[in-house]
Amino acid sequence: MKVILKTENLCKTFKLSAKQQKLQNTKKKTITAVDNLTFEAYEGEIYGLLGPNGAGKTTTLRILATLIKADSGEAIVDGASVTKEPDIVRSKIGFLTSELKLEDFFTPNYLYDFFAKIHHIDPEVSKVRKKELFEKFGIDEFAEVKVANLSTGMKQKASLVISIVHNPNIIIFDEPTNGLDVLTARVVTDFLADLRNQGKTIIVSTHIFSLVERLCDRAGIIIDGKMIANDTLENLTAEKPLEDVFFDLYAATVGEAEKIGGTL
Amino acid sequence: MKNILTIMSKEFTRFFTDKRMVIATILPAVIIYFVYSFMGTMMTGRFTADEDHTPWVYSVNTPSFFTQFNINTVLIEANEIDTVKERILKGEVDLLVIFPENFDALVDAYDVRLTPDKPAPNIEMFFNSTAANSNMAFYTVTAMLDAYEATLSNKFDINRGIENPDLASIEEVSANIIAMMMPMLLMIFLYSGCMGLALESITGEKERGTLATLLVSPLKRRELAVGKILSIAVLAFLSGSLTAIATILSLPNLMGGIETNIYSVVDYILLAIIILTVLLLMVSLLSIISAFARTIKEAGQATMPLMVLIMLVGVSGMIGGGTQAETIYFIVPLYSSVKSMSGIFALDYSPINIALSAISTTIYAGICGYVLTKMFDSEKIMFSR
Ligand SMILES: Nc1ncnc2c1ncn2[C@@H]1O[C@H](COP(=O)(O)OP(=O)(O)O)[C@@H](O)[C@H]1O
Ligand SMILES: [Mg+2]
Repeated sequence: MKVILKTENLCKTFKLSAKQQKLQNTKKKTITAVDNLTFEAYEGEIYGLLGPNGAGKTTTLRILATLIKADSGEAIVDGASVTKEPDIVRSKIGFLTSELKLEDFFTPNYLYDFFAKIHHIDPEVSKVRKKELFEKFGIDEFAEVKVANLSTGMKQKASLVISIVHNPNIIIFDEPTNGLDVLTARVVTDFLADLRNQGKTIIVSTHIFSLVERLCDRAGIIIDGKMIANDTLENLTAEKPLEDVFFDLYAATVGEAEKIGGTL
Repeated sequence: MKNILTIMSKEFTRFFTDKRMVIATILPAVIIYFVYSFMGTMMTGRFTADEDHTPWVYSVNTPSFFTQFNINTVLIEANEIDTVKERILKGEVDLLVIFPENFDALVDAYDVRLTPDKPAPNIEMFFNSTAANSNMAFYTVTAMLDAYEATLSNKFDINRGIENPDLASIEEVSANIIAMMMPMLLMIFLYSGCMGLALESITGEKERGTLATLLVSPLKRRELAVGKILSIAVLAFLSGSLTAIATILSLPNLMGGIETNIYSVVDYILLAIIILTVLLLMVSLLSIISAFARTIKEAGQATMPLMVLIMLVGVSGMIGGGTQAETIYFIVPLYSSVKSMSGIFALDYSPINIALSAISTTIYAGICGYVLTKMFDSEKIMFSR
């Protein structure tokens, strides 16, 4: 199996403003969002980053998508370095997170064509692919409606389709089912499985155990920015369900931290 | 390069298919044209009397020379003075002139050198300044009497027989007036044209999270910066030119006698170059401020100092004079553009200075564009919380 994406000792800290310190009820000036994170994803698999809120999943994916820079460490995406060749990395991936919005003023149809041009896709090829994807997600029904007038589910579908206009080999998807109704969530997860069957590599982050169990070939469990476990799903769930595995690990790590805190 | 065009085409689509944005751009030009023209008509109407009107002047104790003036004179007695004053207010009579009794004899007897303490014979005149005809009658008759007084003891004349002693041609006078007003107006029009666009296109997109979508595409940050700056500059150029044309067209209405058809194609081309370069600079400065701001509201406040600066620099064009000023002025950002504009409008410029201004301004804009590129790459600025 070929490693297509890997991270090596990724670290990322954020400075906290006074306002954020208050909000998070902490006196710390910085927060370590990603702490020495190392993992690999193989070609043609779905790799899941599982962790509670604030574990650092989104931050990790944003580093992979070159939206933000790691303090230290490196990530290689299909041979391109996120630190040295961010433009190339961006052309190889499709990245989707709720933070990326489509412009209200335009229609899904216009935006699809716009991003296809940005990716230098041949117009004929793009047209065929657009028709296919729009039909698959039922976007053709609202292709000419301004994004402002779409429902959350419709927007999500449009965003998903537009993030893969260039038919990328690697798809990075942050919390793919968050905020979606069950029907749309199902369409999205089915589509991810579909993409894997086409040989694409998919990285998803989530806090939903069932999603990982149903979808992922391998998964890493992240707590407080650290990788606690990283294995195939088979191995992870050999003895007990994923949920139990997670809570045992969680109790062990957080409990340990509390113990240290207590002795100091 | 292709990406820059793709971005520009999207920005243009955004602009031209949004009725509100298009109207907001055209409206100032229309308003300026009508307001200036209306102001002009109002002012002229208010201060111009009928040209064919011969003043109706009622006079008391009328000396014989007065009846020979080219006016309608009605001789009345002193007891009619009050009725005539009322008729002036009603607009039936234009002017009342009251001479002292035996005016000619008094004038003959008076000599300022013999009796310096004694006042000269006095003529009283009553008119209504709010009625144009009455107003004109007052000044006409005053001028006639002044002229008559001058003939009584003529010592010297000024400009006798010279019809128009002003050596400047109508073109030059017009050019100077336009050169005084237009640079400031243009700077303000251009700035207000690009401010809304820059805030909307950069802070707006950042605030709504659509800029992040562009940032994860394989676009180079430089392409994004250049595409944004160029499209805003082009749109602001259109709106600025519209407003400028409306102003120039309404100038003759605003200030009668101004000739605006005095510029050659070359003048206009040079002007367009200066406008485009200063627009690039304004837009890239505004873009930097917009990229820093988190919300449109914040950006609006942050751009205030720049607006004040632009207005002050614009005003300096009104008072600066000397369009052939020292070359060093033509590398001062913003100021050089104002100087160049007033030089072109005054039809008195050195092409080298104009070129210097255009080139230096473009370089400054380029530096700002580079800064914007770096800002697009900075997560602290793009994703500040
Ligand atoms: N821009 C930022 N500034 C300050 N803190 C941040 C920023 N982004 C993320 N964080 C913090 O980093 C931690 C990890 O966040 P995130 O990666 O969003 O977690 P997850 O996606 O796993 O829920 C959280 O504590 C979050 O508050
Ligand atoms: Mg998250």
